[in-house]
Amino acid sequence: MSGPGAVAVTTPAPGRATALVPATVAMGRRALLSIVRQPATWVPGLVFPLLIAAVNAASLSRTVDLPGFPPVDSFLQFLLPATLIQGVLFGGIVGGADIALDIQDGFFDRLMSSPVARPAILLGRLGGAMVLGVVQALFFIGVFTLFGARVEGGPVAVAVLVVVAVLLAVSIGGFAAGIGLRTGSQEAVQNFFPLVFVLLFISSAFFPTALMTGWFQWVAERNPLSWMMNAARDLVISDLAFDDVVRAVGIACGFAVVTVSFAAMQLRRRVRMP
Amino acid sequence: MTATSPTPTAAGLTRPVGPAAGVVPVALALIRRSLLGTVRIPATFIPMIVMPLFFVIAFGGAFSSVTLLPGFPTDNILNWVAPFSVLQGASFAGFGSAFGAGRDLENGFFDRLLLAPSPRLALILGALGYSALRAFVPTVIVVSAVLLTGATVPGGVLAIAVLLLAAMGVAVSAGLWGLGVVYRTRTQRSGGLIQVGIFTAMFLSVGLVPLSQMEGTWLYWAARVNPITAVLGMARSGFVGDVTVDAVLPGVGALAAMIGLLGWFAWRGFRRLEG
Amino acid sequence: MSLPIQAAGLRRSFGDLVAVDGVDLEVREGEIFGFLGPNGAGKSTTVRMLTTLLRPTGGWARVAGHDVVTDADLVRRSIGVALQDAAIDPLMTGNELLRLQATLHGIGRIEAKRRGAELLERVGLTAAGDRRVGGYSGGMRRRLDLALSLVHAPAVLFLDEPTTGLDPMSRIALWEEVRSLNAENGTTVLLTTQYLEEADQLAGRIAIIDRGRIVSEGTPQTLKAQVGAPTLVLRVDAGHRDEARAVLSGRFGTERPAPTPEAIAVGLDGGAGAVADVVRVLDELGAELEAMELHEPSLDDVFAEATGRRLEGAEEATTDGDDEGGTEPAAEGRRGRRRRGGTS
Repeated sequence: MSGPGAVAVTTPAPGRATALVPATVAMGRRALLSIVRQPATWVPGLVFPLLIAAVNAASLSRTVDLPGFPPVDSFLQFLLPATLIQGVLFGGIVGGADIALDIQDGFFDRLMSSPVARPAILLGRLGGAMVLGVVQALFFIGVFTLFGARVEGGPVAVAVLVVVAVLLAVSIGGFAAGIGLRTGSQEAVQNFFPLVFVLLFISSAFFPTALMTGWFQWVAERNPLSWMMNAARDLVISDLAFDDVVRAVGIACGFAVVTVSFAAMQLRRRVRMP
Repeated sequence: MTATSPTPTAAGLTRPVGPAAGVVPVALALIRRSLLGTVRIPATFIPMIVMPLFFVIAFGGAFSSVTLLPGFPTDNILNWVAPFSVLQGASFAGFGSAFGAGRDLENGFFDRLLLAPSPRLALILGALGYSALRAFVPTVIVVSAVLLTGATVPGGVLAIAVLLLAAMGVAVSAGLWGLGVVYRTRTQRSGGLIQVGIFTAMFLSVGLVPLSQMEGTWLYWAARVNPITAVLGMARSGFVGDVTVDAVLPGVGALAAMIGLLGWFAWRGFRRLEG
Repeated sequence: MSLPIQAAGLRRSFGDLVAVDGVDLEVREGEIFGFLGPNGAGKSTTVRMLTTLLRPTGGWARVAGHDVVTDADLVRRSIGVALQDAAIDPLMTGNELLRLQATLHGIGRIEAKRRGAELLERVGLTAAGDRRVGGYSGGMRRRLDLALSLVHAPAVLFLDEPTTGLDPMSRIALWEEVRSLNAENGTTVLLTTQYLEEADQLAGRIAIIDRGRIVSEGTPQTLKAQVGAPTLVLRVDAGHRDEARAVLSGRFGTERPAPTPEAIAVGLDGGAGAVADVVRVLDELGAELEAMELHEPSLDDVFAEATGRRLEGAEEATTDGDDEGGTEPAAEGRRGRRRRGGTS
């Protein structure tokens, strides 16, 4: 019977499993690179929300005087959270679809045959989405400030909005990654794009629910995106209040937990697949 | 039309030349082909139907209270947004033709068309005719939906006819714009660029509120010079009141100008394909 | 005097890139003319100019007696074209495409129906006529494409790489079709190909194009003859090997590299006719002949001679050439007869 030392000499030690943190960083860098290198996928996500905001702010500028409209400086200020969240949601769908592309072109299988820690595949993607979320949030807040729509809550509110943007980027990224992992089809992920658009439209994003009527108002008031929108809007249009911060971050966290769990479930399912 | 001109050959015999083709039969045959393509993938109908309906619901639902603004021309938001939604759907129909031409250019089917001795105009007219035909879909869908909600169209049948005319004009204009781009890029990947153009033209206009409501903003000046504003005025005239010559004439003029300019743009692009 | 296809100094450049660099071409009435060259040699660009799809940047071309630039419409009325990728709308049926093609060529409905049925029959697609093209095999698509290009009974037919990507069976079927078309209707055919075998099998005359220029032209036989003598490869018993090698290379031609050390390879200056003498000489030496093969020069050798490079896809073609042209000296003659038999 040979001692453990002898074994170590004769058989080479198996390669170590890649640790979670460096693997996640590596995967995150890859996700970010793939975003940066395809401007066609994220530039529209910056430009279109701004264009919609510009047209709506000009068209609807007089509606802020209608009875029941929240107390805002301008319609543009009212639109800040909608534009920010819209940009993050669209950007996240595009980034999330990449994981399906990985599955389609076989990169996912290559990862599976490597000792990379499994959660890193998902966390890396979400990390990339988080960085994009920070950039988008600062960009939109900057542009709006330039055109005179201030964040009344001050720098703290801006910081909270950035955190919310990051959490929402994770939420939509998790949702898209989950669908991508489940279906393995980039197209399937992109087919959810119109759904996000519909959810956004039937919410308080572009107009206050108080001024809506009928079934549309009923749905909009119960749309979780409206809750998110209203909480973020309070940070923009009123002075900083602790409740508003907790509400905004709490709702965004809720979204993130639900969709990331969904994505993790789908990842586990796919990893187990023969 | 059959014209056979004898041509001398080396042996001194005559070699018959095939016939030339007329504009109308070729254009009709191309429309027929596009129709077959649509009918055989019924899924392509879904966005054609859903998109304008979604516009009606989304704009009508979210911004219903704009009618409360002092001086707004109608008190039923559906009458206001229905024509806009129809024109949106019509512009999408135009985009569809350009996208189809891009696909033909990419896979080589377009060469088959170019190789034929058909009048070049017929190739463009075929694509546009299909766009114009498709403009019926959003018109019928949206008008039916609006009538189903119990809303009335003050201008009656004439209003719907004028709306249809505007929709066809917008479909043809959007189609010409898209064809002009596609003939130059020779790929359907330029679809994004085409859509940005259409989207910008449709939105920098009076889609949500009339000109009077946006006075003092940058959009006022953009919408004033945008020919789509006049077309929207024409399309809406019978939905917010009676159809008036004052509303229809500028719209027809704007459509004629757009079709003329964009037609020139598309034709120039087409000539570049043959070189 | 007007030839079906005539071009002089035909040029086309795209920016700095010269795709076709002064092509002179004369295709005669009723022949099958092969345009042979590797990918990117300028074949397709030349065909696109001859078929009015692309404007030349220099030189001129006349097809069916009409200038391709000034009388493009008359050219289009005289030619049939089947392009490389056989772009066919997958959602349409064969019959619908034939009817569309007929309309594009100004043929009336009744005539179109008759022609369509006739052509489908001819290319063996009658049963598939009402099925969508999306479900056709590659070979069926090419045959439909051929039928489409014939709808207006053109005097000149252009086939751009008609069999690229087809399996061997479909390829042979299409060759048969082109041959009988040429034979029965006297249709002049210009065919581009990167397959040596295809050019060899189908074309009466061949032009080899490389880097935008025609580097060689003639019948397959004369082109091959220009390359030089066929190679005789033989094996004799080990005892007489060195003696036989010395005598043969001294008397019949120069020695060539042999496939194996046991074999002897000699370039036969006297051609296939010298084989009998070789056998006699070996007999006189008392050598025992174990095996003998005669390798005719292939079009690949022609191409290599003209360009200094081998053609892509040459392997497959030369192997076939060996099988047919090798084992017996009379093979070349037999093949020639068969070709004539197929076209007359």
